Amino acid sequence: MDFDFSSEQYLLRDTVRDLLRRECTPGAVRAAWASESGRSPERWRKLADLGVVGLTVAEEHGGAGMDEVDLVLILEEAGRSLLPEPLLETTAVGAPLLARSGSDTFRAEWLPRIAAGDATVTVGLAGSPYVADATADLVVLERQGALHAVTQDRLTLQPLRSVDRARRLFSVTAELGDDTLLSTSAAVARWAFDHAAAATAAELVGVAGAMLDMTVAYVKQREQFGRRIGSFQAVQHKLAETLLLVDSARSAVYYAAWALANDTPDASIAASVAKAYASDAERRANAEALQLHGGIGFTWEHDLHLWLKRGKALELQYGDADLHRRRIADWIYAPA
Amino acid sequence: MNFELSGEDAAFRDEVRAWFADHREQIEHTRAVDWEAGGEAFERYRAWERALFEAGLGAVTWPVEYGGRGASMVQQAILNEEYTLADAPNRINRLGLGLLGPTLMVYGTPEQKARHLPRILACDEIWCQGYSEPNAGSDLASLRTRAVREGDEFVVNGQKIWTSLGRFGDWIFTLVRTDPAAPKHKGITFLLVDMHSPGIEVRPLIQIDGSARFAEVFFTDVRVPVANVVGRVDDGWTVAMALLGFERGGGLYGPALFNRILRDVVELSRREPRGEGVAADDPDVRRRVAQSYIETRVYELTVQRALTRLARGEAPGPEASLNKLYWSEMKVRLDELALDILGPRAELGPGSPQAENDGGWYGDYLYARASTIFAGTSEVQKNIIAQRVLGLPRE
Repeated sequence: MDFDFSSEQYLLRDTVRDLLRRECTPGAVRAAWASESGRSPERWRKLADLGVVGLTVAEEHGGAGMDEVDLVLILEEAGRSLLPEPLLETTAVGAPLLARSGSDTFRAEWLPRIAAGDATVTVGLAGSPYVADATADLVVLERQGALHAVTQDRLTLQPLRSVDRARRLFSVTAELGDDTLLSTSAAVARWAFDHAAAATAAELVGVAGAMLDMTVAYVKQREQFGRRIGSFQAVQHKLAETLLLVDSARSAVYYAAWALANDTPDASIAASVAKAYASDAERRANAEALQLHGGIGFTWEHDLHLWLKRGKALELQYGDADLHRRRIADWIYAPA
Repeated sequence: MNFELSGEDAAFRDEVRAWFADHREQIEHTRAVDWEAGGEAFERYRAWERALFEAGLGAVTWPVEYGGRGASMVQQAILNEEYTLADAPNRINRLGLGLLGPTLMVYGTPEQKARHLPRILACDEIWCQGYSEPNAGSDLASLRTRAVREGDEFVVNGQKIWTSLGRFGDWIFTLVRTDPAAPKHKGITFLLVDMHSPGIEVRPLIQIDGSARFAEVFFTDVRVPVANVVGRVDDGWTVAMALLGFERGGGLYGPALFNRILRDVVELSRREPRGEGVAADDPDVRRRVAQSYIETRVYELTVQRALTRLARGEAPGPEASLNKLYWSEMKVRLDELALDILGPRAELGPGSPQAENDGGWYGDYLYARASTIFAGTSEVQKNIIAQRVLGLPRE
C-alpha cells in the first residue's frame, strides 16, 4: 500500500505551481475579470508547452499519456491560483471523453490540436443551466441523455454575467444532429460527470487551502487588544477545525483520482465522497476566511473575495454536497 | 499510488485472519463475560492475552529482541483491522503493551527493560497509567503528587484519578513532583510503582454508564526504589510526552470499528419502523447516513495516507492530534445517529425486553462521549494543531 504521489508527480506539481505563481497572480486574475475574453492565450500556451494541457492525451496524439492521479495535484494548483482558463473542462473531462468515445478520425482530428494548445474543448453536462467557456473550439453537450460534440458553427452563444468574473458562462443553443453525436451511453455520461465532480473537488481543495493559508498568515500579524489575534483560542480552534477538514478532503480527492484512473467499481461513489467532502470543507474555509479577516476581507480591494467567489462557484457546480449525499444514500440503500 | 497490500503484508493478514478463525471459541468464551466483574471473568481476558502472546500477536511492532516480531506500522494496522473484524476481546494490558513498553525501550534502563518487558508481553502483570489528578487534567503539568527522596527511595504522597483498570493493576507508571521549586514542567519525575506496595489504596469510580472501569489511586508514604525512575530525575516531562506520542499517534485508531458501526446503523435504519415505513425511508435519515458514510470513508483514507508516511519511517508528529480529533468527534455523531434512528426506544436500558441490542447503543454513545475527553480533550487537540501545525502564536 502506498497512498502518496511519486517524486516525479510532486516535481511536476512544483513546476506548475512555479509557473502559476508567475503567470496567475491575483493581479492576473483581476485582469481576467476585466478583460473582454477573460482568457489569456499566452498563459494557456505556456501550460500547453509544459505538457499540462495535453497531460491526459495519449502520446500517439501528442500528449503526455498520463492519468487522473498525475493530474489531480495540478488541478489543486489550478484551484489554489484561481486559474481562469478551462483546464478542468479541457484536460480533466473533455479530452479524455473524446478519447473514450470519439471515432478514430475524430480523435486524430482533435486530440493533437488540444494537446498542442491550439484547440480548447469544454463540456456542458446535464444539470447546469450554463456552459463555462462555451467559446471553446469544441463544446461537448449533454442533451436528452446523449453526448454531442459541437463546433462553433452549430452554436449560438449568449454570454451570462457571473459573480466570479473570471468564469465565463454562456447559455448555449445548438443545432444537433447525427453528425454531432458522440455517445448515447448512460455509463459514458456518468463517467463524464464523475470526472467533472472529482476534478472540481480537487480545485476546491486548492481554493480552500489557499484561503486557509491566507487567513493563518493574516491572524499571525493582525493585532487587537494588544496581541496578535491568532493567539486567541477562539481563532485558533476555528482554524484547527478548518485544517482538519481541508486535509481530510485531500484524502478523498486523491483517492477519487486513483479510483477513476483505475476504473474501480467504487469510482462513482469515490467521486461523490470527494465532491461532497471537499465542498463542505471549502465552505467552512470560505466562512472562516472572511470572518477572521473581518472588515478588510469584505472590501473589493482585498484579494480574498476572488477566492471566496471561486470557491462558492465550485461548491455548486457538478453537484453540490447534498446532491452527492443523495447519490451516496441511493447507493447505500439500493436493493441488493 | 496503489492500495494493494504487499505480498508480505497480505501473507501476514492471512496468517492473522486464520488464527482468529481458529480461536473463534475462545473469543466468544471471553466476550461472554465483562472483565470488570473481576475474578474468573478477568482471568479469561488474561488467558486471551496469553494466547495472543504465544501466537506472536501480543505486541507485533515490538522489536524481536524484546519478544515482538518487529512488524511494521502497516502490519500493526492490519492486525488491528482483523482484530475488530473478528470481534476479539478488549485488551486488558494495552497500557503496558502500547504505551509503557515502547517508552521503556527508549528511556528505560537495561534492568527495567529486563524486569518489565517480558512480564508485560506475557500479561503476567497488568499496568495502569497514573497521570491525571483531581486538579491536573488538561493542565497535566500542574500535578501535585509529591515524591521526596530518602536514601535509595522516594516517598510518595498524593492522589491519581481516572486510572483505568485501577482495581486490577499490578503496577502503575506515574508522574510525581520531585522539585516543587522548579517551573511546573521541570521538577516532574516518571516513576514506576508496584501497586501492591504498602500505602496504596484503590477506590473504584463508578462511571456514568454504571461500570467501574477506572478508579482513584491514593498514595500515603509509599516507598519506591530510586531505580524505578525512568529517564532522569526531574526530567519526567520528556518521558511523559514521548509516551503521550505513543498514545495519540502510535496507534492510529483503526477504521474497521467505524465501518462496522456504520454498517450496523444502516442495517438498523432498514428495519426500524418510522411512520408507515422504516427509518431508511426518511430523507433526513438518509442524508445523515450518507454523511456518516462519507466521514468513515474519508477517515479510512486519511489513516492510509498517514500509514504510508509512517511506513517510510516518518515519526508521528502533532498530526496525531488531527487523527484523534477526527475519530473521536465522528464516533459521537455515529452513535447519536443510531440513537436518533431508534427514537424513544433508545432510552430502554439493559434488561428491557424492547431494548435494541440490550441497550448497547446507548452504552456505546456514552463511551463515545468519553473519547472526546480522554488522551487530550478535543480543545487540547485543537490547541496543539493550531500551535504546532499551523504555527499560531501562544498567548
